[in-house]
Amino acid sequence: MPSLLSTFLLSFMLAVPAFSLAAPSPPASPSFEVIAVQAEAARTQDRVADAIRLYREGTHLRPAWSDGWWYLGSLLYDQDRFSEAEAAFRHLLPSPKYRGPVNAFLGLCEYETGNYVDAQTQFRTWANAGWPATPELRDVAVFHFALLLTRDGRFVESLYLLASEAPRLGDLPELSEAMGLASLRMRYLPEDFPPKEREPIWLAGKAALYAAQTNQEFNRADEFAARLESRYGSQPGVHAFRATLYGFELKKPEAEREYRAELEISPNDVSSMVALALIDLEKGELAEADALARRALDADSKDAEAHHILGRVLLAKGDLPASLSELETAKELAPGNPLVRSHLAMVLSKLGRTQEAKAESAAFLVLKNKQDVMASVQEKLGEDTRKKAH
Amino acid sequence: MRKLLLIASLAATALLAPFAAAQMAPAAPKQSLDQLLQAAEKARDGNRDDDAIRLYRRAVAQQPESEQGLWFLGTLLYEKKQYPDARDVLRQFMTLRPDAGPGWSMLGLSEFETRDNRRALDHLQHAMSSGMGDRTELVQRVFKDVAVLLTRFERYDDSLDMLLKMLDTNAQQPDLIEPAGLAGLRLPLLPAEIPPDRRELVGLAGRAVMALQTRHNEEAETAFKRLVTAYPNESGVHFLYGAYLMELHPNQAVPELERELEISPTHVLARVRLAEALIAQRNFDRALVLAQQAIQLDPKRASAHMMAGEALVAKGQSDEGIKELEIARADDPAVSRTHWDLLRAYTAAGRKEDADREKKEIEKLYHSNQPGGSSAGGDNPHDQAAP
Repeated sequence: MPSLLSTFLLSFMLAVPAFSLAAPSPPASPSFEVIAVQAEAARTQDRVADAIRLYREGTHLRPAWSDGWWYLGSLLYDQDRFSEAEAAFRHLLPSPKYRGPVNAFLGLCEYETGNYVDAQTQFRTWANAGWPATPELRDVAVFHFALLLTRDGRFVESLYLLASEAPRLGDLPELSEAMGLASLRMRYLPEDFPPKEREPIWLAGKAALYAAQTNQEFNRADEFAARLESRYGSQPGVHAFRATLYGFELKKPEAEREYRAELEISPNDVSSMVALALIDLEKGELAEADALARRALDADSKDAEAHHILGRVLLAKGDLPASLSELETAKELAPGNPLVRSHLAMVLSKLGRTQEAKAESAAFLVLKNKQDVMASVQEKLGEDTRKKAH
Repeated sequence: MRKLLLIASLAATALLAPFAAAQMAPAAPKQSLDQLLQAAEKARDGNRDDDAIRLYRRAVAQQPESEQGLWFLGTLLYEKKQYPDARDVLRQFMTLRPDAGPGWSMLGLSEFETRDNRRALDHLQHAMSSGMGDRTELVQRVFKDVAVLLTRFERYDDSLDMLLKMLDTNAQQPDLIEPAGLAGLRLPLLPAEIPPDRRELVGLAGRAVMALQTRHNEEAETAFKRLVTAYPNESGVHFLYGAYLMELHPNQAVPELERELEISPTHVLARVRLAEALIAQRNFDRALVLAQQAIQLDPKRASAHMMAGEALVAKGQSDEGIKELEIARADDPAVSRTHWDLLRAYTAAGRKEDADREKKEIEKLYHSNQPGGSSAGGDNPHDQAAP
């Protein structure tokens, strides 16, 4: 076992100067320089255990050594030692050099250690910084961010992220599973959903993944969706998913049929009521649209889309004050939704409130041009908006 | 599982012996570590696992790079079903001992229990390539879990290959029925994820696949017929039966594969195998259409390009056929049938150098005994390993 023994001896030899240097000493100790060189050599020679030990020693000697913390965190992350990696990455939060990527890594570490709320905060910070990362880190971080959004019940945002990855990543089992969870609106992570749900999740995920490909493989998507429906048609969420898929395919009658089927199974499903109300609105069937929107609000008075659609229905009916009230509530609940702003501008304009209408139109343009749904509202409505609005 | 752990532990004891000797060096701060390790070992030997865990934890806290401490702590935690803790400890151990095959196996098994399936698969495969010695029970467990995880990641043919190799060494393995059924039906579920009302379907398919592999042809035929009768509209069933018939009664395979395409219109492999059957019947036009559809659905599917190439060459469109065969060769160089196709096509086209190269490739494949052959429900059309 010579390699083991030499590893042991090396660590022992290195430990001696480390201990002697741990005492208060000038910050630019030459021993730190030696350790930094040795750490670099160990890392580039793939001697991972040595590299970790040396970076630990180096960062202990010089806590401001940001490159050391970075490599230490990265090495530990590569070894799947997430809580230790997280501790190392935390030292980099004040460092401008690593701002952004370090948030992505922290999000990943916190995901793996089960600190889901903190992980999501880190991912959001990372997103607001413009998603800075290598392509590999970006893929992994976006994927995990999406998983957390699903767990949080933010299925549309999650699907948006996953679908944006789908054309590049292709038919990846992990991706289809994640899309399946979001598509069926299941607030689970891949590692904690009930095992009996695996088949419907897989079927829905494959359908969603094929529909999200660049060349939109709707035939394949439909085949998996049909299998899902035939096997699990009585399960909540299945018809709503099928309806959404038909919506992508611009098959409106089929979508309408599926939303109605969903409401048979889940009478209080707000998304299906809102979607049906929208279909009714487009067909000019305002009475049912009105009733559905109000039913949706009875089920969830805080649903922004329900207020939005009711506002639109009331606008179509010519009841401008009532429409304005609903749309203002929708704006309050979902300030980042560009369409709410657009409809609000229309109502305000009809009411002769020109300045406010202009402000809402400006907000609409800014929000619409910010394709990135993950950006915060404050970031979306930056200085530009205020200038345009006033 | 206790036995599995004991086996793994014994293996590690041998691995760790030199390290333990090094730790016995008479340095003052080491004594308490040694004492802790000795006390922990005594507790472990006396089946006082909780005491042993506590003592190993103290040893590891004192010396985080104690391989002995990490290993036994990790395996004991696994045995106590504290899988997340076992996993974390074993990850620390693997940083120190990336050469330890049994370590990768215990880590992979822990990750399998915590449903970290991707890492479990990677690490169990790493254990297989690192070597786990002759610890039969551990090896069998790892092989089975790898096969099960390969199916979960939609690598059905790799999974079937592993399962069939396991059956070659021991045909009586009832715990392989469900994994074989899932891989055969191309259902990416773990056995624990099979819905109760699907167990019969999966069981029937698994028994059929296993009977086929163990050359119990009558039993296989009976099982397949029962499967098709009981589940005539189930996706994957007719493909599996058709793939089986391709081996024994190619003409009867055609209606089964056609039926599969009625049930699963975008089934890529049903198209490929149907194209193969039609080529055997010299129906090259229809075979070509099916192969081209398969390519459109899955451009990277080597077998689809191979079928398209064969059909084109047979129709006299040599240049286009060779192009397809060359794509098939690039995507999966281990399939000897593609090399045989190319050898014949190059020879007919007077491309002697290219033909000689293919001949050498065929000989190389023959000697290296690369499989590339067919299995129940598998991807590769019937391979022609010999002239």
